Formats: sequence, C-alpha cells, structure tokens
Amino acid sequence: MDYFVQILVSGFTFSALYALAAVGLVLVWGAFNMLNMGHGIIMTLGAYFALMWAELFGMPLVLAAPFAMLCGGIVGAMVYFISAHWMIKQRDFETTIIIATFGLGMAMEAGLLKLLRELFHTSPYAQPLSMGADSFLVATVPVSYQRIIIWGGALFLILLLGMFLKRTKFGRAIRAVAQDRDAARLMGVQVRNVYITVLALASALAGVSGIMLSSFKEIHPLMGGALMLKAFIVIVLAGLGNLTGSLYAALLIGMVEATVKVLIADKYGFTAILILVILALIWKPAGIFGRSTVARQ
Amino acid sequence: MKYRDFIIFGVLIAIAIAYPWLNPPRYLLATALILYCYATVVSQWNLVFGLAGIFSLAQVAIFAFGAYSTALLGRYLEWSLWYAFPIAGVGGILLSVLIGLACLRLRGIYVALLTLAVSQMLFVLIQTDSVCSPLNQVKDPRNCVAFTGGSQGLGEFGSFGWRAVLGGRDWMIGDYYSMLTLLIIGLIVTYLITKSRMGLAFRALRDNEELARSRGISQYKYQLLVFALSAFLTSVAGGFYAAHFGSVGTNLFAFPLLLFLISMLVVGGIGRLWGPLLGAALLMAADEVFKEFSDWRNIGLGVVVLLFMILLPQGFAGGIEKVHKLVYKLYRNWRPT
Amino acid sequence: MADALLSIQGVFAGYEGQSVLNNISFDVPEGSLITLLGPNGHGKTTVLRCISGLIKPTKGQIEFDGKRIDGMEAERIVARGVVMIPQGDMLFPEMSVYDNLRMGAYLKQANAAFEQNVEEIYTLLPRLKERTSQMARTLSGGERRMLAIGRGLLSGGRILMLDEPSLGLAPIVIDQIYDIIRDLKAQGRTILLVEENASRIIDLAERIHLVDTGTIVWDGGGKELQSNPQVLETYLGG
Repeated sequence: MDYFVQILVSGFTFSALYALAAVGLVLVWGAFNMLNMGHGIIMTLGAYFALMWAELFGMPLVLAAPFAMLCGGIVGAMVYFISAHWMIKQRDFETTIIIATFGLGMAMEAGLLKLLRELFHTSPYAQPLSMGADSFLVATVPVSYQRIIIWGGALFLILLLGMFLKRTKFGRAIRAVAQDRDAARLMGVQVRNVYITVLALASALAGVSGIMLSSFKEIHPLMGGALMLKAFIVIVLAGLGNLTGSLYAALLIGMVEATVKVLIADKYGFTAILILVILALIWKPAGIFGRSTVARQ
Repeated sequence: MKYRDFIIFGVLIAIAIAYPWLNPPRYLLATALILYCYATVVSQWNLVFGLAGIFSLAQVAIFAFGAYSTALLGRYLEWSLWYAFPIAGVGGILLSVLIGLACLRLRGIYVALLTLAVSQMLFVLIQTDSVCSPLNQVKDPRNCVAFTGGSQGLGEFGSFGWRAVLGGRDWMIGDYYSMLTLLIIGLIVTYLITKSRMGLAFRALRDNEELARSRGISQYKYQLLVFALSAFLTSVAGGFYAAHFGSVGTNLFAFPLLLFLISMLVVGGIGRLWGPLLGAALLMAADEVFKEFSDWRNIGLGVVVLLFMILLPQGFAGGIEKVHKLVYKLYRNWRPT
Repeated sequence: MADALLSIQGVFAGYEGQSVLNNISFDVPEGSLITLLGPNGHGKTTVLRCISGLIKPTKGQIEFDGKRIDGMEAERIVARGVVMIPQGDMLFPEMSVYDNLRMGAYLKQANAAFEQNVEEIYTLLPRLKERTSQMARTLSGGERRMLAIGRGLLSGGRILMLDEPSLGLAPIVIDQIYDIIRDLKAQGRTILLVEENASRIIDLAERIHLVDTGTIVWDGGGKELQSNPQVLETYLGG
C-alpha cells in the first residue's frame, strides 16, 4: 500500500510538470512547426529569477511563481525575435530551427553558468527550495503540501489556458492558425503575433515548471535539460500537435516513470519511458493520438 | 567531385602526412589528431544527415559507445586495443541498426527527438552506475569504481601502443598517423558511397520519398543500410579517441560534445562533400584562437550555430558553392562564348 | 482602366523556379462579376492566390482601390477589403460552424457587426443555422461550400473572390450555390470568380477571361463566348 501511494504521489507530480511543459510545446508546434530546444534553459531561468525575487523580498516561493512566468514569457518572446523571426521562411524550417535553438539554448545555459560562477564562486544551490516543509500522512507516506500546490497550480494553469483558447478571440485565432495557417491569414489574423504569443506563453509555462521542479529537486543551471527532453518525449508519444493527447501522454509517462522508480530503481526511470515510447512509435509512427498517415504540412 | 577536388584532396593529404616531419609543437600535433578524429565522425554523420536526409542526432552516441566499448574490452579482457577497435566497430553497427529500427517509420524531427533521447538515456545509465564492481575491486581495492566507471569515468585500459614501438616522445606521432589514416579511410568511404548506386538511392529517398518508393527503392532497407554503414567508422573513431586519451567519461554522451560536432557539421555544410573537413578545421582553429576565453566556449559555439542557421544554413561549403556559381554567372555574362 | 476596383497588370508568378503566370492583366470594375475560365492547373487559382497575398508575384502590379497590394502580407490585404473564398474551402476542421463564421469576422470592423451579420448569413444559408455547433469536418460537401461562403461574407470585404465554387459538388448543390452567387451579384457586390465549367457563368458574368497555361488567351462577354463555340472547344473541350 505504501508503494502505491508513493507511486501516485510521485506520478502525479511528474505528470503535472510534464503536462505544463508539454502543453506549451504543442501550442508552439501547432502554430508554426517550431520545436524550441531552448525550452529547458527557460525553465532554469524561470526558476532562478523567481528565486531571486523570493530572496530579495523574503516572500514564499509560491508567490514568486508569477515572476517565473514573467521571466519565461519575456525570454520566450526574445527567442522568437533572435531565431525564428529570421528563419520562418526557410524551406527546412522545422529542422533548422531545432539546430538553431539548440545552439541558442546551449549558449544561454553556458552564459548562466558563467554568470553564477562569477557571482557566487561556488557551485550554486544544491539544495531543494521548499515552499513549506509541512506534510500530512497518507497511509504512512508523507505527502508534503508543496506537492498539492504543484498539482493544483498545474491544473489551474492548464484549465486557464484551455479557457483562453476556447473562449477568447485571440485564443480562437491561435487555434485557427494551428488548424490552417493560410486560412487564418485570409481572415486577417496577424500570424506573427500568434507566433510570438504562443512562444511567450509556452515559455511562461516553462518558467513555472522550472520553479516547481526546483521545489523538490535541487536548483542548478543544468536542471532544465532532462525535464525538457522528457517533455519532448511526451508530445512525441501523443503525436505532435495534439493538445489533449499530450495531457494524457503526460499522465501516462509520469505514472510509468514513478512506477519504475519506486518499484525497480531510480536510475531506470528514463530508460523505461524511452522503451515505452519506442515501442509505441513502432506501433503508431505518428504518435498514439496522431494521424495514421503522416501528412507533411 | 571534379578533377580539381581530387588535386586539392591529394595536396591536403600530402601536407597532413608531412606535417610531423616539420617538427610542429606537440600541442598542435595533438590538436590536429583530435581534429582528424572528429572530422571522421562528422563525415560519417554527413552520410546519414546530409546524403540520406535523416535528422539523426545519434552519431555522437555511437562515437561514445565506441570509446566505451574499446575501454571496457581493454580494461577487463586486457585485449590489445587493436583487437578492440573492430569489435567496437561492429558493436556500433548493432547499436546504430537498433536505433535505425526504432526510427524506421518515423518522419523528420521525430527521429531527432528519439535519437536525442537515446543518447540521454545512455548518459543517464552510465552516470548513475554507482555499484562498486567486483572486477574493479580486484584491480584497486582501495577505490570503489563502477563497471562503466560511472560519473568518474574509466581509465587504465591501454593505448595504441606506439610508446613501445616509437619510444617515449614520439608515441604521439603514431597516434597522429593512426587518426589520419582513419580519416582518409572515412573520406574515401564517404566518397565511394556517395557516388555509388546506393548513394543515388539515399539521395532519391531524401529528395522525393514517394517517387523513390514508386521506383522500387525500399525506404526501410536503405535507411537501415545508411545507419549501419555510417556507424562502423564512427565507433572506431570513438575507440581511437579512447586509445589516445587513455580515459573515457560521460562527457562523451553529453550535450556540449553534441554541440561541438553539430557546429562542425553546420559550419562546414550539411550534405556537402567538403563540409566535414571544412567545419572541423574551422572550428578547431577557432577553438585554438579563443583558448584564452575558454569559459565563453559554449556561448560562442551556440551563437555560431545560431548565426549559421539564420544566415548560411548551407554552411561554408554551400556558401562557397553559391559564390562560385555567382562568379561563374558573372563571368559568363561578361564574356559570352 | 485606372478606376477599376481591382486591377492586375503584367503579373508573373511561380513556385520554386517554375513560372505559372505569364503576363496576366485584367480589371475588375466595381459592382461587376468577372470570371477567369480555364482548365485545371493552368494558373487560375494562382491568380487569386497572388491577389490575396498568399503568393507574391515576381513581376507586375496589383492595385486595389487605387493602392498597390502586390507584395503585401495576406493579413493586411484582407484588412483592405479583399476577401477570398479559397478552393477546397480551407475551413477550420476542428472548429464548429459557428466558430468558423466567427473567424470570418475576425477583423475589428467585422467583429463589431458580427451579431447582426451572422443572422443575415443564417437567413441566406439556413442549413448552416441547423448545424451551427457541428464540427466543420463533419459537414457535407455542399454545406462546407456554404460555410466557406458565409465565412467569407462575414469579413465584410469590398470584393469577393471565389475559387471554383462548383468544385466537387453534385449538380443540384451547384445550382444552390449559384443561386446564392446570383443573389450576391444582385446586391451589387463586386465578384471575381474562377471556374472550370463555362455553363453556369455564361449569362452571369459581365466579362470572361480565358486562361491557358498562365496567359489570358481570350476575353469577352458571355454572349460572345456563346456565339464562339470553337473557342470553348479549343480550350475547354466543349
């Protein structure tokens, strides 16, 4: 029973993080076929930025989360203007933007490392930032309140995003661009504004994932990479572009990872989900919820 | 490749062969041989990415796999590394084919993400290997060393063996010629494959998959073929790398090396014959020039990759070709025959 | 003509090195219905895509309401009042009929008048009202065409461009579509129509331009075309 609760707790936490990260990636991919390899460093930057404000004003980390979103959003918009804006008309944009944002992401990560080294002279922050260490027991397994905050926060943000997409005019425009870009242009939608907005939105969510991740794992400059890669795996499993599918995929992967980590060994978590995804893709090359014939856009 | 290209190639090889006799400083010799090693990997990567158009990021993982296989064989079975190299090569082929199978029906960037994930998985598996291996207890009872070396890396597995033949100072020249030979083999193999019917099939599948398939070119067969072919020398290059440095570590699977190699590919020009050589040479030269600013290294590399993708996605080789074509056009306009 | 609402002069255009349009010139006077006729693949759709801004012409000018629009982004061209109802409808498949219509009224001015206008559209196209919350991809061919037209009308443009409105539809449905087009013309709208089939437009269009391999090879009124059956045969096979 202990194991079961443990798996659920860890599983939901992972799933929440993956869902937040994945949802943004899907939006951006849907809008203009961009996969931002800098997603990971944006998570890290969001976490550090929020931490900075929390320390500066002595506020609890939860209240600093909006700062993580702000940082993420601004960096996301910057990434658009530095990379995608100049490359969007290229024929192999899908490929070149991945390489370009990989380079940009690595540059930003190295920059952050250098900055922290110069400011602090030591390996920065190797302990988890807690949002309050209180916890309650579920069948002898301690569940900290901060886990609840993570689950609640992720759920809230995702629902908010959903309402934005369904109920607002610009949200409709985003959906329109994802479904048929040229048709959207013929309706007068300024597609460039859509691109910038979705990238900023996705990056804002990445910032929040970052601060959430650092609340139960340590915060350090390289932390975003692994989470970003897992988020990529989630959206690939679902089938690129499928928003609700990616939520289900996030849940599945989070739970599988938690199961393997708790029941077998921590280090086999990534291996397990990778094997799962490889098998799933062999069965359905376009992703579980993707289209059966892989259509080129 | 025209007549002119063969001549340039011949001249470059002659210079490379003669180089050690010109008594260059040791560290330049060392830099050159690492250049050859990386250039070999990039030339094989170019077959998958450039010629066959498959967006695979697994090449570095296969390189690292080759390094680790060689190290493990040398350390635990105490083989001469010259026996380990071909085994590592075959192992690399198997790994590459497995990856190819997993990616077989996937399109475009799905392959990139999956191959990236596979590299990361290998990184994590080795990095978290912390079980004190009994094999290593025997060697060194005081320390706790994992089977793969874990996060600490692995050493003491042998070397090329030139020290015994050439003596204490000139062993590096032996390493140098080994790497150079590998590179020359790699370039010749690349050329032969590119010009062969197989190469045509790869290009056909890359440029117009449906058309190629309707002509009877089996996509699956050729995809697996290119994964297999490109892996052998890549893996052996990894083995050579291990043999030269005498140690392997998880940095071989990590992103910074991927960044370095991808920048070579990109700067040189994806799919261009001279790409790998140009890219490797330029980047190692830049690395040397900016040695003083080593903590800016990854920042600089990242920016270079970004700039090239924006301004010159075809790399230098592509850029030179464009300039060439432009000059030719101008010439023709000025002097119509 | 300098005072035509839409004026195309000497336009060349193509894709990836292939030249599709070669020196296309024609005018669309305000309030008229002009047709581009011709077999498939000869450039008619490309003309509309050039005007709407989805493609940029390599040479030539396109003027709308006295101002040049060639080279402008499609979004801005729509804002000036050039509305295209594209070939194949280009609906938003995962959106409802209502949401598709709402997208039609995306532009500010159109958006303000949406509530009224949509009622008019429902009156004109009652089948859409029945299906208002259905997903666009579940509609029949004729319903899709009507939705595309309704969506385009809601953009409130000064010129309506229809790309093969009869494509893929059963004759009865085509009749309905053309009834709608006739109504629109009666309202005094400026319409540029692209068609493969001459029969429907012969007594509808003020002027017909025949497009063959990217050039206009003949133009004249509907009656002229009727009295010139050999032209039809040569280019359209009767």
